[in-house]
Amino acid sequence: MPKIELINLQKSYGAVSIIDGLDLTMEDGEFTVFVGPSGCGKSTTLRMIAGLEAISGGEIRIDGRVVNRLEPKDRDLALVFQDYALYPHMNVAKNMSFALRLARYEKSKINSRVNEVAEMLGLTEYLNRKPAELSGGQRQRVAMGRALVRDASTFLFDEPLSNLDAKLRAQMRAELALMSRRIQKNMIYVTHDQVEAMTLGDRIVVMKSGKIMQVGSPEELYRSPANLFVAGFIGSPTMNFLKAELSEEGGQIFVTGRGFSLPLPAKCKPRLSSHNGRTVMIGLRPSSFSVGEGEGSIELPIILSEYIGAQSVLLSEMGGQKITIEVSSEAPIPSGAPMNFVVESEGIHVFDSDTEKAL
Amino acid sequence: MPQLNPRQNNIAIYPLMFILVIMSAGPIVLMLMTSLRLNVDITSPTASFFFTPTIRNYETTLCGVLWYKPEHVDYCNPMFGRALVNSLIVAITSTVLTLVIGCMAAYSLVRFKFFGRDVVSMTTLMMRMVPPAVLLVPVFGIWTFQFGISGTTGGIILIYTAMNLPFVIWILQSFIVQVPIQLEEAARMDGAGPFRVFFLVVLPLIKPGLAAAAIFTFRIAWNEFLLANALSDRNSRTVPVTIVNSLSDLGIDWGVLMATGMLLAIPPILFTFFAARQIITGMTAGAVKG
Repeated sequence: MPKIELINLQKSYGAVSIIDGLDLTMEDGEFTVFVGPSGCGKSTTLRMIAGLEAISGGEIRIDGRVVNRLEPKDRDLALVFQDYALYPHMNVAKNMSFALRLARYEKSKINSRVNEVAEMLGLTEYLNRKPAELSGGQRQRVAMGRALVRDASTFLFDEPLSNLDAKLRAQMRAELALMSRRIQKNMIYVTHDQVEAMTLGDRIVVMKSGKIMQVGSPEELYRSPANLFVAGFIGSPTMNFLKAELSEEGGQIFVTGRGFSLPLPAKCKPRLSSHNGRTVMIGLRPSSFSVGEGEGSIELPIILSEYIGAQSVLLSEMGGQKITIEVSSEAPIPSGAPMNFVVESEGIHVFDSDTEKAL
Repeated sequence: MPQLNPRQNNIAIYPLMFILVIMSAGPIVLMLMTSLRLNVDITSPTASFFFTPTIRNYETTLCGVLWYKPEHVDYCNPMFGRALVNSLIVAITSTVLTLVIGCMAAYSLVRFKFFGRDVVSMTTLMMRMVPPAVLLVPVFGIWTFQFGISGTTGGIILIYTAMNLPFVIWILQSFIVQVPIQLEEAARMDGAGPFRVFFLVVLPLIKPGLAAAAIFTFRIAWNEFLLANALSDRNSRTVPVTIVNSLSDLGIDWGVLMATGMLLAIPPILFTFFAARQIITGMTAGAVKG
């Protein structure tokens, strides 16, 4: 299994630069997820790795070998397309065996390989059907099967689940996670869905406008986002951002805004004491709030309460801004009356309001 | 207003349909009946609608290619048999050539980006607007004096291919555009080179287009008279030319002429029948999320 390196990778269409100097190394056996909003260049990056898109500058290396000008077929990669791209004139078995037939494998070997993968994906009874006779989920499986049959060194996925309905997507996501653990290959996965990114990836690459915002494990991205964009992109419901001022009182650092003053944990002090007095952005995860009274608790109005079972998502106001709060609830929480909340100080993220970087 | 049952509404349609059927099928029926009569029957003033059918005229026409010598034929004129063979060779070869060249040209016009692509695409179609009569003299001159291929079936095949290519390219372009580019990318990922992508993925999906183009090309090549008349000699004449040439001052053999006409009609009918089966819609259904 190869190591894939992107070195100062660039892509531009005429004068418009899409990818602007990307550097990234994907280690052997790693599940890397590219995530970002539409148009951030994640799919383009994947297509450049696949060889379907010419690169405008930089290098792509697979196991140290520069593959910039190599045809897709010579890169030993398999790609699962967003909209399946099944050959409509071939049945499922033929679709899956296409690559093997091109490579002139023995018939018996092709059959056993196709049957093995079909069994793994639950496609055995559909092998003789044409793509038009399959449901969306089944087609998606065939598309994956076509990649799996090949036994390529690296699997690329271009938003493979985005065309499925929510339930099927969750199911396929779980199957994909199991599959990746079973086959232990390099996987590069592109998605705009942060839930997919968080659940599947060993390592997540968050992109915006052709630039990498942060690379890290799901936990790193969630616990210590490097900038406002990552903080806002990762996590659901999204993080609340408030303007506040840093101040030091009695050896402890506080963030103070309109109508609130929250203490920061002591470990932040060495990093933040030099910024004393500055206006910053603070980020609060909706889940950092918990219902309760006690030291430092704040009273917040409940504007709207959405009960979704074990949790309730509350819309409230803090520092003159609408915020979202997520709390566990056994019964629906009534809206209208204010409630007291304790904010977990570990969950407060501080960002420079100019550079948008984490402090 | 009560909805009229469409079935109650169309009594007037039957006479109309009857007239249309008479108009379209009448000449063919007449031709068929004449071809099955002896000349005596055809020209005699007492000829009736009822007669004893005979295949003599067909035997006369095909005597050159039959395995036996028909009794009534004193001198076997090989012209008609030869013309049928010539027509088949010309029509089939030019159709195959047109399709092979046409689908590749159409593919490159659709998929490859190059300078002047749209201009090429448009002028291709405009070439088709030139009437064959305009081409007649220059083509005859070039074929005879420059290429030296007038009077050969090759010469006729060449001009038919050139004549039909623009339309075939144009019609196939619209089919190739509909093949999702992802399929080609998928094939490239699966290890197919450009030719395999084209032959294994694109070509099967534009089969309906190929069939439509084939019917069109075959029909034109089979029926064309003007250019074939100018470019053929007695050995390379096609059937339409032969039929016209057999109308002479020395008397017209109507029976044989009609039999030739009937034989002339069979290959395009068979060809269209088989090719039309390939024209089915929804070839790319299920390929990509649509």
